[in-house]
Amino acid sequence: MFSFLRQSTFTMKVHCFERKFCVSSSSLVPLPLPSRMETHFWYILPDEVKSSSLLNQYLDLLSPCEKENVFRMHGDRLKKRAILARALVRTTIARYQINSEVSPRSLKFRKNIHGKPEVEWQLDDDWRPPPLHFNISHTSSLIACGVTMDSLIGIDVEEKQRTIKNNILSFAQRYFSHHEVELLTSISDTEVQRQEFLKLWTLKEAYVKALGRGFSGAPFKTFTIRYGGAISGNVNSEASQIVVESCDDSTSHTSNWEFTLLELSSHYAAICTEKDNNAFEGGTLFLWNKII
Amino acid sequence: MAAITGASISMQPRPRLSRQSLKTTRISGLKSVSVSNKKSLSLRLQPLQSRFRVSCAAKSETVEKVCTIVRKQLALPEDSAVTGESKFVALGADSLDTVEIVMALEEEFGISVEEESAQSITTVQDAADLIEKLVEKNGA
Repeated sequence: MFSFLRQSTFTMKVHCFERKFCVSSSSLVPLPLPSRMETHFWYILPDEVKSSSLLNQYLDLLSPCEKENVFRMHGDRLKKRAILARALVRTTIARYQINSEVSPRSLKFRKNIHGKPEVEWQLDDDWRPPPLHFNISHTSSLIACGVTMDSLIGIDVEEKQRTIKNNILSFAQRYFSHHEVELLTSISDTEVQRQEFLKLWTLKEAYVKALGRGFSGAPFKTFTIRYGGAISGNVNSEASQIVVESCDDSTSHTSNWEFTLLELSSHYAAICTEKDNNAFEGGTLFLWNKII
Repeated sequence: MAAITGASISMQPRPRLSRQSLKTTRISGLKSVSVSNKKSLSLRLQPLQSRFRVSCAAKSETVEKVCTIVRKQLALPEDSAVTGESKFVALGADSLDTVEIVMALEEEFGISVEEESAQSITTVQDAADLIEKLVEKNGA
């Protein structure tokens, strides 16, 4: 179902579940909030959603503004994807035992100053909202939502078979860092090169989304994703460290970011979260595939 | 795959602007205004206080070129509805598509688009306007 391509820490545990996609909060199986060491990754495959009445129930969960966005999409496929993306976020967040007021329909969202979506909690005198963070990504065949507690998160998913219309090296020279261009240039097999390009793209995109400052807030050229050496004693020889470095100062590793790269249902999925410096044992990644 | 029927989901008709929707451009001194001859465009002068307001379209051929590049990037059929007001996201473009489109536009028009500008492009019209601004800057 999935495989690790690369992971930041060799002790990252992954749990994979399949859950039913439920609409009403009464039928949502409640979950405790993630611990600081956990990353929850929820995903659905739009092609598995075949019932139009279910799709209408999901549509019903959306805010008027979200519904308007759905109708702006060109064609049924894109409309469906837009509905499922918002339904996924709403049902996912509502599932956590936040308080009795929170339901998929009641949740409100807003964008931060840089355009990153976040929950707009309905504040009460006695109640402090949990520091829950989320990030969404979607392609035509997979929609994902990552959730963390008290840690910034950014995710990006791309179809493995996705073709790049521009020349890959030209694109990399225009947007990627010097080190990344060198890495791609050194690959002679065009197919492998395309795959490595996509992996780099997803990792870079996940990082920028985690930072939440928008594309221009952390231009791709200003940082490098680097695959470090294998960690000794590691059973899985595929795993090696992924780090991000600022191009301005190559001696400063921005060591507070954790990357995970997965191959999931013919997609690459990159997850970037803030590292908890106290957690030397690494985190736990929970993968949930919501199915009907 | 589930089909969305008209009966289940109410479609809210949006006011459609014609292809030749005119963009209002404020200019302090009246310089030469280029107007495409392809379709009949009306030039409206509306003096407002002490300012001239001249309506003119970003060259329709620029918009056309952008539409072609967008169609190619998103693998849309030739007859698909892509116009100046089309939003990239509504056409199904994700972040990689948008960056690919910007790069293709850079190559097509010989311009360089900075990240801040790229981030602000959401429609075909935005792209066409930015292109014309950058091309003009190059030529100046």
